[in-house]
Formats: sequence, structure tokens, C-alpha cells
Amino acid sequence: MRIGLVCPYQWDVPGGVQYHVRDLAETLRPLGHHVQVLTPAEHEESLPPHVTFSGRAVPVPYNGSVAGVQFGLVSAARARRWLRDGRFDVVHVHEPASVSLSLLVCMIARGPIVATFHAATTRSKVLAALGPVARPWLERVTGRIAVSDFARRVQVEHLGGDAVVIPNGVHVPAFAAGPTLPGLRRGGDVPTVGFLGRYDEPRKGLPVLLQAMRTVVGAHPTAQLLVAGRGDPAELDRLVGDDLRPHVRLLGEVSEADKAAFLRSVDVYCAPGLLGESFGVVLVEAMAAGAPVLASDLDAFARVLEDGAAGVLVRRGDPAALAGELAGLLGDPGRRARLSAAGTRAAAAYDWSVVAARILAVYETVAPAGGAVVDGSRDDDAALLGPPSGSERDSTFQGPFRRRVRH
Amino acid sequence: MTPGTWLLLLAGVLLLVHLGWTTWTLTRLRRLEGRVRRSWDVLDGALLRRAELAAALARERGSELGEQARSELAAAAAGARSPAAGDREAAENALGRLLRRVPAELQLPEAADADVRVGLARRFYNDAVRDTRSLRAQRLSRVFRLHGRRPLPRYFDIDDGQDAVVTGSAAGGGRAGG
Repeated sequence: MRIGLVCPYQWDVPGGVQYHVRDLAETLRPLGHHVQVLTPAEHEESLPPHVTFSGRAVPVPYNGSVAGVQFGLVSAARARRWLRDGRFDVVHVHEPASVSLSLLVCMIARGPIVATFHAATTRSKVLAALGPVARPWLERVTGRIAVSDFARRVQVEHLGGDAVVIPNGVHVPAFAAGPTLPGLRRGGDVPTVGFLGRYDEPRKGLPVLLQAMRTVVGAHPTAQLLVAGRGDPAELDRLVGDDLRPHVRLLGEVSEADKAAFLRSVDVYCAPGLLGESFGVVLVEAMAAGAPVLASDLDAFARVLEDGAAGVLVRRGDPAALAGELAGLLGDPGRRARLSAAGTRAAAAYDWSVVAARILAVYETVAPAGGAVVDGSRDDDAALLGPPSGSERDSTFQGPFRRRVRH
Repeated sequence: MTPGTWLLLLAGVLLLVHLGWTTWTLTRLRRLEGRVRRSWDVLDGALLRRAELAAALARERGSELGEQARSELAAAAAGARSPAAGDREAAENALGRLLRRVPAELQLPEAADADVRVGLARRFYNDAVRDTRSLRAQRLSRVFRLHGRRPLPRYFDIDDGQDAVVTGSAAGGGRAGG
């Protein structure tokens, strides 16, 4: 199949959607599919050959994260050219309900379009405002995918459509085997608890975990909490305080390889998050790395942990309950081994090979063999092929208006 | 300019806006009609494939299934495949129920995939129907009958266990049993 993926966020900035698109492309390519990606980026020269540069997205800070707004005329022309050159059987856009490259491609492309919605809580306000405006173009999307029940709910409530739930993928083998962090070993003399995420964001729940650790070190005086992720070290130090300082080790921001090593090293992985997460990718990664998982009872976490069958769920924001479970787990190697085995089994369903096969089934459903390819051009689009940017601008500008008049 | 001219101008602008909106809506409706038709073709194909697999199962593994199950399955598969059987949804439901009763070890290897395809195709078809119905339900497009002579598309509702995944507030929001 010829598949065109559209990523609305800057390719060279770390982010869940970017990783998702990258991994999907890398999984589909060896299966014999022709995969191309269209994305904005900060540095055009850093892109691999199968990735097409669509321009720079204008970063718009929103609720702590950065949304990429890209709606320019030049971007439209680039998207059009990419669609025409790619002759795709199906175009797969990500997060199209924002003023982004993905929506732009929805407006331009004719033919089978699949859309994946990743949306998390914070964006639903934007969706509520934008949904009705984007709707006429989202109507062109033939198949909608949500990465979690939560994303599906957002989709149903704000965009009035339904979606198939296909979770984010994880490269399970990359987490399952490999080195551990130097000097650390699962089941060693020092019981370790892992935390990964922005540690200065209260919604990630680190303060609750620290509170619980104060109790845990009473029962396990050598216990260590390893904190990996971005944040302000001074702020963390203040949170930790003098009493806990010997028991907390800050690893800081870790690379993908170090993250896997970190997850393979810890005795218990703890996700004490307080607020809605769309999907707990890191939980799946921890389970793939064989770490027993202890998480707060958020919907997304409960689903990944199969309601407690593949990990331990604890009431969110309750340090006493968390401390109880944590101390119990650290003192019970047999239970940890059982949880680890259950987690490994559960994580297998999220391996990219499984997830990509499910996404391919969606592609084949919206674009049955022998169907027409996706087209981005109109009959009178010839001016666009020429290099002069003036004519390019003119004809793209007239695009939507001309379309209205013709029919 | 006199008030009359202003009024005339205003009326002209309103008319233009209305014309623009009408052509835009007509385009959307036409596009949606195509989407409903294409997704129905896919759903139809997926359902036929499932029925064919069921018929093959009844033929090839009849002895393991037992006589009664075999004949029921063959009848249900024929019912789902024959266009004369009036109620397609009921026929597909009957077939789906029988297929779910077949033990996993007797199922043909393609059966699970065929099931998944039916679920996907049905969801995408119902999505297209929902988008069409909500556009046609808008007051202006209803009043001006922009849909012309097109029949209102119907949801295709069968029990394939696809709706169980959403819990909470949106549990009933997805499928508005049409």
C-alpha cells in the first residue's frame, strides 16, 4: 500500500504524536508498504529522506504544551504537491481537529482519509470551540481512530463522530531485553522505586509519592526512589527535604535507551498521576521492561493495567494507601515476579507489530483494493507545478472559494 | 445613498451569503452521499465474506459441529447471503450469534479477521450515516430540502460487541440506534 502520514507537530521536537508517527512509519516500511511523512520541523535539513518538510509551524503555547499552528498558503501548496507526488492509497492524518497541517490536508485531499485522535484533557476546550468549524472538513475523514477510550470520548462529545480505539504502540522487544543502569539491578540489595515524568508538574503526582516514601523508608531503610524526567532540580530538592534526600536520586532527562535501561533496573515502577492521562504509554513501556507497575486508579491506567490484573491500582492522591502498597510490594519478591509476568503478557498486545496490523486493517477498510488514489490536485491546478511563488500563492488562495462556486 | 439603496445592498449581500452557503452545503451533502455509498459497499463486502466463511465452516467442519449446529449455521449463512431475506440486520445478528457459539478451536483461521473487518466497516459506515443525518437535520438545510430526492441513510445496527469499550458519560452517545 502507498501510505501518507501527516504529523502536525514539529518533527524534531520530542512528543508523543511525533514518536507515534515515526514508529508507525518504521513498522510499516519493512512490511513492504510505501510510507511517506509530511510534517513541519524546526530544521528542514534534519529530516530523513522519507519525511517531507511542510514548513515551520508557528508555536502557540497552550496550557503548558505547545500547539503547532500551520495554516499558511505555502504549506498548502507543499501539502498539495506531496499528495500529488505520493499517489497514496490512503492518507493518515494525526490530530486533525486543530488549526494545523492535518486539518489543511483534510481540506485539500480527495480520497480515503484516516484520522487518529490523540487528544488529552487539556485540549478539549479547544476542541469544543474548534469542533463545529472544522467539522465540514472532518466529514471527509472516512475512518477515525482514537488512541484511548478517553480520546474516543472527547471525539464523540466535541466532534460528533465515533472512532475505533487502537492504542499507542510500544516497541516491546526494545524494552524487554538490554542493559540495566550501571550499578543498579532489579532484585538487588537496594530496593528501587522508579518515577518517570515531568517531576515539577503536580498532576504527575510526585509529591504524593514522596509523601508515601517517607513511610516506606521506615519499613525498607535502604529503599531508593529514582526520578527520571524533565523539571527544575531546585524545586525537586525543596519537595524532597532533608529527611528524604538520601533516598532520592535524580536522573534528570533520559534518552530513549536510558529510559529502557532505567525501567529494566527498578524493582517497582510507580505512576502516581492525579489527573486525566489519555493513555499510559509509559506504563506499557514499564510492563514491557518487566517492571511491576503500581499506578493510581485513573481510567487510562486502569485500562492499561487490565483493572488490576497486570499491575496494582491505588486510590489517586492517597499517600497512605500508596505507601502501604509500595512497602508491601518491596517486601514480597514473589508477588513482584507474578506482576512482572502478568505485565509482560499484557504489554505484548501493545507491541507495534500488533498495533500496526490493526491500523493496516483500518487502511484496508477505508481504501479497498482497486480504489482510487488520494488526489490533492484539481483540474486547473497546473499553475502550482511551476516554481513562481506568486502564482502558487494566488491559486492556493482561491482554492476553497473556487470549489464552492464550481458545484 | 438613500435608505432604499442600503436595503437593496443588504438584501443582495444576504442573498450572496445564502447562495454561497447553499452551494457549500450541497457539496458537503454530495460528498457525504459518496462516503455513505462507499462505506456501505465495504460493509456489504465484509458481511458477505463473513457469511461465506460461515458457510465454509458448516461444510468443512460439519461433523465436529454436530448436525443441528451445522444445519443452523448453514441456514443462517444462506439467510445472510440471500438478498431476498428482508431484514438484513436480523439475518446478520442470527448468524453472528451462531458464530459466537462455535468453539474457538473449530473456527476457521480467517474468522477472527473477518469479524474485525465487519466491526470496522460497520463503525465507519455508521459514522458516515451520522455525519449525513446531522447535516440534514440542520434547520436551513431541512427547510430548503437541500438533500433533494436522496433517501435518508439508515444506521446499520447489529450486535458485534463493538460498543462495549466506552464507559461513563459517552456510553450511549456513540450509537444513536437509528
